Amino acid sequence: MPRLRVVLLAVALGGAAPLAGQGVLVAPHAVYIDHARRSGTVTLYNPNPEPAEITISTAFGYPVTDSLGHFVLRTVDQPDSTLPSAAGWVQAFPRRLTIAPLERQTVRLLATPPAGLPDGEYWARLIISTRGGKLPITGAADTAVRVQLNLVVNTNIGLAYRKGPVATGVALSLLRARHVGDSLVVWSRLQRQGSAAYVGTVRAALVDSTGSVRSTLSAPIGVYVVMEPRYALSTAGLAAGRYWLRYELVTEREDLDPAVVLRVPPVRDSLQVRLP
Amino acid sequence: MRASLTIISLALGAALPLAAQQNGVTGIRDLAFGTVFPGLPSVVSRTDAVNSGRFDLSGKKNRDVQLTFVLPAVMTGPLAATMPLAFGADDAGYSPTQSVGNETVTWDPRTSQTLTLPNTANPKVSIFLGGRVSPAVNQRAGGYTGTVILNVVFF
Repeated sequence: MPRLRVVLLAVALGGAAPLAGQGVLVAPHAVYIDHARRSGTVTLYNPNPEPAEITISTAFGYPVTDSLGHFVLRTVDQPDSTLPSAAGWVQAFPRRLTIAPLERQTVRLLATPPAGLPDGEYWARLIISTRGGKLPITGAADTAVRVQLNLVVNTNIGLAYRKGPVATGVALSLLRARHVGDSLVVWSRLQRQGSAAYVGTVRAALVDSTGSVRSTLSAPIGVYVVMEPRYALSTAGLAAGRYWLRYELVTEREDLDPAVVLRVPPVRDSLQVRLP
Repeated sequence: MRASLTIISLALGAALPLAAQQNGVTGIRDLAFGTVFPGLPSVVSRTDAVNSGRFDLSGKKNRDVQLTFVLPAVMTGPLAATMPLAFGADDAGYSPTQSVGNETVTWDPRTSQTLTLPNTANPKVSIFLGGRVSPAVNQRAGGYTGTVILNVVFF
């Protein structure tokens, strides 16, 4: 290859331009729509110095856990009538928009459920897809140009539509724990009861023989069907010996409007563990 | 006074919910390969403070977030020319302190990863991405583009 061409190519590929900021901030992080109002809103904010091109869509999915106990989203492209999907009848207005730098915009969500929809809770995922302003490709095609990696960010949040009276609960079973490194790893089986997802908080505590709480954990959780989540309690600095693991689920969420949290009594279990 | 309070509450009401509840990802820095020569692969480590891709993620404390990259195998250039782009087992990293040198979790960006946000008020963390571009000896000069998709699921 001629030396000049090598240099030109090197110059061309070396000119990787900075990324135009992409992605928007979304609030709230879960949307609840009531059958009486049939509408909701989300607010989008573009914190970047470039306009953000946004497309909003819906899909059906709900959280489950994988074989390691990590949360993953189970999606169903074509949910049948046995699945409580609202994805087909909740729409965003507008569905496409551009938000100027440092500006915010409210997007309205309108539900048009089918006639005769039974009472219950129906789920969807709201996907806010953001593409940043494109960088120009300059220069002649065979000489100086720029390399461009575009980024599309899809922010995926939960949406629930409630019609009529709904109830929730959770069955807790198979509580177990194992000491790994400086953590006590805890699993349990959680199965939703009732007609609505169980939305609450998992709390765990390690209590020593004197009754003192030596380590705690608190994490938000949503049990839609069944799951076996994994949590890790720190055991760093704890003396060897027997401890009680206290584990509970409560319908408290500081990050959600209390009006949308369905209250039920706490569910608890405990387990004696030995730390080496 | 009452009118003033109303105005203040409306103003705060318009501003606070987003600040207090915001979730999202913003691209901070492109994955940049620097000077590339035909026939010479260029590798950018996720720990490269200048050239690695960086994405900042905002959410609520202790919340689980699933990250899935959809990565191009090639970038496309002039006259449909392509340039291979590859990602490996250790090319994505998560820093709860937004420091490129403090990545507490690393993973293969070709697979999904679920992370738990720190137990701090309104946490903001960073994701770093590295990769490798492999221009051929006879790579056609011109502009090459590709699209990286980042799917972020807030549970």
